[in-house]
Amino acid sequence: MSQSNGNHDLFENLRLELRRGCLSLAVLSQLRTERYGYTLRKALAEQGLEIDEGTLYPLLRRLESQGLLTSVWREEEKRNKRFYRLSPEGKLMLKQLGAEWQRINSSLNGIL
Amino acid sequence: MELLDRYLQAIEFWLPKRQRQDIIAELSEDLRSQIEEKETELGRKLEDAEVEAILKRCGSPLAVASRYRSQQYLIGPTLFPIYRFVLAVLLIGCVVPRFLIWLAFLLVDPGHRGYLHMENLWVTVLYFAFFTTLAFAIAERSGVKLEALDTWNPRKLPPARDPNRILRFGSLLEIAAALVFNVWFVSLFRPRPVIDLYGAQLTLAPEWRIFFWSFLLLAAANIAIAGVNLFRPYWTRLRASLRLVADGLGAGLFCGLLKAQVLVGIGASSLPAPQAVELTNLINRWMARTLPWAIVTTLVILGFDVYRIMRLRCVHRHSGSIGPAVNDLSNPMVNGN
Repeated sequence: MSQSNGNHDLFENLRLELRRGCLSLAVLSQLRTERYGYTLRKALAEQGLEIDEGTLYPLLRRLESQGLLTSVWREEEKRNKRFYRLSPEGKLMLKQLGAEWQRINSSLNGIL
Repeated sequence: MELLDRYLQAIEFWLPKRQRQDIIAELSEDLRSQIEEKETELGRKLEDAEVEAILKRCGSPLAVASRYRSQQYLIGPTLFPIYRFVLAVLLIGCVVPRFLIWLAFLLVDPGHRGYLHMENLWVTVLYFAFFTTLAFAIAERSGVKLEALDTWNPRKLPPARDPNRILRFGSLLEIAAALVFNVWFVSLFRPRPVIDLYGAQLTLAPEWRIFFWSFLLLAAANIAIAGVNLFRPYWTRLRASLRLVADGLGAGLFCGLLKAQVLVGIGASSLPAPQAVELTNLINRWMARTLPWAIVTTLVILGFDVYRIMRLRCVHRHSGSIGPAVNDLSNPMVNGN
């Protein structure tokens, strides 16, 4: 029983580790067009990539502090919302990361 | 929305001050959107239990707030191994000398209580641990960069160690020391009715003859093992076992000697007879008193010998684990010597 729990925990840790890098790429790719947090989460969920608010917002802040995103507060439907989009550096980074993802993906497909 | 406000307030408490308002506004907007969407879907206001479920899924306030902070260390992963090493050296340097002093007083003068209490040792240990931790935490905070991390060179690294290799210098030293000691031992203590020791005449019990020849035989065996080690400088299970037997016999003989009270009398021109008797008794008593410590030392030595044999058994089972030795054709473990 505890062995099974241990395996499950290990799998969960490795899964999160594997996902962490992919999420940055997914978020950057979805912000080619301007979105605010909630619609970004929904867009990712529709593509099969669920991301909770506790993970998304800190990630958005980190990407913004790294200069890859720009954000602006704006009123929409009578509520203040923070809209994000890719900065020019973000566009370049998305291109590079996308190419790297393709390379890793094709290597892993060969290996697996 | 009372539950939501309480939740956001609890998160706010743990957030970095500068970003609090911004983060709370954004998170609040997201959670309100989720609640509104659910309400639209159900066509009614959400009950507290349903709001609670949304908040619970979001995570505890502390966990949510912690994700907005970068990972913080008191001592980071680069400095930590050095910190642990320095701490270990300092603590050993602090504890071992005190323990040896304590042991010496316990052995020589148990009545001297001043050195026997160890309470202030723990205060010293705590001071060492505290100030070492503080120094490393300050170094971490001030962003000290270790020059060695950038300037290291593989050629300057210490040579790879093989724990089963015997240093030739060590074997030579062992043989030389054993020869010098045994020449001295034979010239002074060879069994005879009265032994003249630098002007003092020692009378030893007849049992001394057995001890003398046993010690000499054992010394010869040890020199032979060291001689083999000199030309085949790797421990094998056979030689490690022989060393264990030799050390065990040597220790047993030494303990027997301490217990046997072989000193029968001392005579010297300047020593009156009653004092000579007193001195003889005193020496015999001291020898008997050191017996427990001799046994402890024996056990430590034998423990090390047994550990060496176990290590060799382990290497034999996983013969890939000490690369340099098993790949070396001159290694007798590989050749089966």
